[in-house]
Amino acid sequence: MPALALFYRLILRPLRQERARTALTVLAVALGVAAVIAIELAGQAAVGSFRSSLETLTGSANIEVTAAGGIPADVFARLATAPYPLKVHARIEDYAVIAGKVKRTVPIVGIDILSEGTLNSAGAGEAPEGASDLRIDDSVWLTSGLGFKRGDSIHLLINDAAADFTVAGVVSGQAGEAILMDLAPATRFLRRGGRLDRILIEAPATHSIEEWTELLRKDVPDGITIARQGTQTDENRHMLEAFRWNLRVLSYVSLAVGAFLIYNTISVSVVRRRFEIGILRALGAPRVAILGGFLGEAACVGLLGGVCGIVLGRILSEGAVKLVASTVASLYFSSRPAPIALTWEYVLLGLTMGMSIALLSALGPAWEASRVAPIEAMARGRSEHQARVHRWRMAAAALLLASVAWVASRQDAVNGKPIYGYLCALLSIIASALLVPLLVSVMANVTTGVISRVFGIEALLASRILAGSLRRTAVLVGALSTAIAVLTAVGIMVGSFRETVVVWMDDILQADLFLSPAVPGGVDRHPTMSAEIPLQLAQLPEAEAVDQLRNYEIRYEGLAATLGGMDARIAGRRRKRSFLSGASADKVFRQLIGTDSVIVSEPFANKHRTKAGDILKLNLGARVGAFRVLDIYYDYSSERGVILMDRETLFRYLPGAEPNNVAVYLKPGVSVEDGQRAVERVLAGRMVAVARNGALREQAIKVFDRTFAITYVLEALAVFVAVTGVGSALLALVIDRRREFGLLRFLGAADSQIRRILLFEAGLLGALANISGVTLGLVLSLLLIHVINKQSFGWTIQFHWPVMVLLSALSIVYVATILSALYPARIATRLIPIEVIHEE
Amino acid sequence: MRNNSLLRVKRALLALLLATNTNAADASAKHDGYRLALPGYRFEFPRDHFNHPDFQTEWWYYTGNLRTADGRRFGFELTFFRRGADNGAAVQQASGGSVWDVRDVWMAHLALSDIHGGQFLHAERLNRSGPGIAGADLKQARVWNGNWETQWALDPSLAGGGTQRLKAVAERFSFDFALTSDKPPVIHGTDGVSQKAEGAGKASHYISLTRLSTKGEIILDGKHFSVEGASWMDHEFFSHQLESDQSGWDWFSLQLADHSEFMLFRLRRKGGSPDPFSAGTYVDPQGRTVHLTAKDFTVTPGKIWRSPATGGNYPIEWMIEVPSIRFKATLHTPMVQQELTSNSRSGTSYWEGAIDVEASRLGRSLQGVGYLEMTGYTGPITGLN
Repeated sequence: MPALALFYRLILRPLRQERARTALTVLAVALGVAAVIAIELAGQAAVGSFRSSLETLTGSANIEVTAAGGIPADVFARLATAPYPLKVHARIEDYAVIAGKVKRTVPIVGIDILSEGTLNSAGAGEAPEGASDLRIDDSVWLTSGLGFKRGDSIHLLINDAAADFTVAGVVSGQAGEAILMDLAPATRFLRRGGRLDRILIEAPATHSIEEWTELLRKDVPDGITIARQGTQTDENRHMLEAFRWNLRVLSYVSLAVGAFLIYNTISVSVVRRRFEIGILRALGAPRVAILGGFLGEAACVGLLGGVCGIVLGRILSEGAVKLVASTVASLYFSSRPAPIALTWEYVLLGLTMGMSIALLSALGPAWEASRVAPIEAMARGRSEHQARVHRWRMAAAALLLASVAWVASRQDAVNGKPIYGYLCALLSIIASALLVPLLVSVMANVTTGVISRVFGIEALLASRILAGSLRRTAVLVGALSTAIAVLTAVGIMVGSFRETVVVWMDDILQADLFLSPAVPGGVDRHPTMSAEIPLQLAQLPEAEAVDQLRNYEIRYEGLAATLGGMDARIAGRRRKRSFLSGASADKVFRQLIGTDSVIVSEPFANKHRTKAGDILKLNLGARVGAFRVLDIYYDYSSERGVILMDRETLFRYLPGAEPNNVAVYLKPGVSVEDGQRAVERVLAGRMVAVARNGALREQAIKVFDRTFAITYVLEALAVFVAVTGVGSALLALVIDRRREFGLLRFLGAADSQIRRILLFEAGLLGALANISGVTLGLVLSLLLIHVINKQSFGWTIQFHWPVMVLLSALSIVYVATILSALYPARIATRLIPIEVIHEE
Repeated sequence: MRNNSLLRVKRALLALLLATNTNAADASAKHDGYRLALPGYRFEFPRDHFNHPDFQTEWWYYTGNLRTADGRRFGFELTFFRRGADNGAAVQQASGGSVWDVRDVWMAHLALSDIHGGQFLHAERLNRSGPGIAGADLKQARVWNGNWETQWALDPSLAGGGTQRLKAVAERFSFDFALTSDKPPVIHGTDGVSQKAEGAGKASHYISLTRLSTKGEIILDGKHFSVEGASWMDHEFFSHQLESDQSGWDWFSLQLADHSEFMLFRLRRKGGSPDPFSAGTYVDPQGRTVHLTAKDFTVTPGKIWRSPATGGNYPIEWMIEVPSIRFKATLHTPMVQQELTSNSRSGTSYWEGAIDVEASRLGRSLQGVGYLEMTGYTGPITGLN
């Protein structure tokens, strides 16, 4: 009981009395925890759900059969007639748009309406459904989530065509949204030419899956893949894990910034209660009680922050999931986020994060408190004790860490994750924090004269105060500079990336008009348009050349990739700087013609460690082909790898002359307006969208910005936490130094002068943090561009200073930092001089 | 988990594909574009053992009574149905058509009567021809639906009965039988048609192989049984439905110890009265046939078994009399539960099972086995009839 009472008096009461400061510290922890929880939840919903609607119809199948470019129909017949007790289901999988007030892109699944389902499974005697006027060719079945009922008419956009279907039934009990259609119309509308996207097999447990796949492999051609059902999903999920991991790291930045602030809060507590600690120690309190007391304070803050953080994180996750999902969709796979599920694991994670970050950051100050010698603390005069700061020793440690960081930056990725890259970043941040005291004292010494001359006596006082409480200043600068560094680093990285993409688009987007089907494509879905379109366009007098691209979703070494066929004759004439080797595009593209050779994108080469001259073995349809890699080209269109070959080569292996995209080069002198009119005349009646060059670029940049929106949010959060911390720390400073402020007031300082002192303090803190933060940020940005990005995504990014973006962001941070001093300043000006001095 | 919902999908579809035609009274030689079974059809084998896509409906029915060396008895049924769907022909032509277009619906029923073990196992499947999932093809000499199939031996003896290899794989059992026909094909009815109702084309072309010596293996729950016995094949193709006043039929195949066989069918009218188009065939030990009309024989139902699954009241004992050849028989079944319960609207539930025959011919007692099929006891037949 006495221990509890002591804990209350020494720890909890002050926490309660200094409500504002406590609230700010709790808020810092809460925001850090919220960022982590929000990203975890959003990641789980966006990525975890990626078992998309297409997967809801797999039933109890345990084996899946796939092939690049589709499975030839006769493979299905072979499996269906194989002498084993299997259930074999055919699938065509794609996307369609439900036209209506709100256009919705929904998975469309072609199934064998005749054979699916087990005839013997349900009870007999159910009422027959009066469906005698139905026709298989224009009937669809919808999952109940789509909100249609039987007999409704539904207007669908599929590829470049629109058609009306009758809802023949609503399939209940299905997760997700999907349109079901028989294989016959699905083949026709989706232009599958009889091929299937997947065959699902239910095999009995008499043999293991491995035995079954081995057995079945004998019945199918070499190019066909037979694997445990869900293998592809698992592989895809694995790919997304790396992305989630990067996002997760960024979300911990806020938490790390929060750690600085807890450290600061506890330090302040320790310093302010030295006298009480001295008394307690003199009365016989053991060191461990003091240690426990301050750790208890941290735990309270951590717990409270954790709880608030979980609630806040759940709220923030609603927005975060949209951003994460859109990033996943533009970089990886089509998916629809699942509902957010805040489970006990996340609650536990939030509490653990809050508590452990608080305890860890409080360990140092609490330990120091427990070391306080009674006699020293109780010595006359309650002047603030200033902990010694070993600037030079810390700088030496910083140097050591920096060299370790350098070594770490040279290491390869682990399991596709740039673990050493992040280690390097962490070490750099710590090293920079260790350098701050030296920086502060050097700055203080060098600049005091200048400052007082320029800004007057208040600035001089502010500068002295900061230099005087060096440790606290260092911590504050450390926190703010970490946030600024991350802001700068990500800013530079994204800015450089954006500029790189813009330059790249200049090179590859040379045509005047771009055509694509009305159904939106995606990184893993490739809606087609009629094969006649490019032929008709080529006849136009306005057109100089027509290029076309046909993409297939394939897998290479267990990773999803895109296989594309373009007209090498046309593409080669236009591009300039396309290849890593620097080879002329014209020459490389010419070599593609008529040979089994390919070019691969940079991310592909990085993922698969491919070099020019390598031979790629690709499973295409039922066949296996060997292709020589001629060169590696820059590609920023997706994170996944791309393999490109000449159309003619592609069509020797896979069917489908229908292009996904068509590009029209107009003759010199033909205006874009005239050209577009001519093209649109050819397209009359078809659901094909025509985009002009400029519009397409704008669209691409919009997608790019959307992709990185989530990182901005996380950075903003970190900066907010840091700025809040500055305010909180200044408040502590005011309360601590009320004697000095009282004295100043007593000596005749005006309110405005007191306010100015505090504003100058904030300004100096901000300036120091900006200097160290931008320097650290530059280092981190190089790390992001050359190590972390390269290892996670495989893009070459040309370094570029996004001057305007950085300047405006940093100005906002700076202004916010200064503004954060307003509230502490108000408190300071409210001090009654007599009272404060009287306390002495 | 999803079976129920997909099942509903399937039912709706079958309703469309297999719906009873309301304008069946079309008197022209064509029925919805399909050829009618008319007198004078010239049978030609092996061609006529396989597909007749110009007729709307066709089936191949295999039934048999088999025993192991130590007397364990099995009955089996394997039936391949084809029904022309002629679905969306215009659409198909307009866009080139694809291998997945539904031109015919292929259904198949498989049943094993494990009489000693007292269990009746059955399965059904429904497919389109697709890329070769189901079919009946002269070139391949094969009739199949998935991995249920009969493969004919391509030799000159095919012209008669020939030999076939009948195979099927189900969840709990599989079999592989060699069938050798002891007699040439029997063509039922008169002038190549088996009349089912009044009017031209309300008939079928009906072929039977009435005695197929059978040898092979059954694997049931992992246990192998070598079996021998006799099977029967029916093959019918036509383009008409049951008349609106017909409610179902009872069909009998008897294989007697003196190497003779009977096929009899009794069409039932609504209200229970026998239909004048009931008919049959007597095949003597040498393979000569006698056509029997409704006037030539009587079949009388005996004891009734009520199916707990469907509530159908099936007569499981029958008396048969063919006075003109002084033939009398009593039919019993060694196992009452041989009902194929179907959930789909395609196949109405029906009873099809192995039977024992106690007969007398010209006063001499005669043993035999056979198969009995009873349809239309659980509701109207809307499917393949």
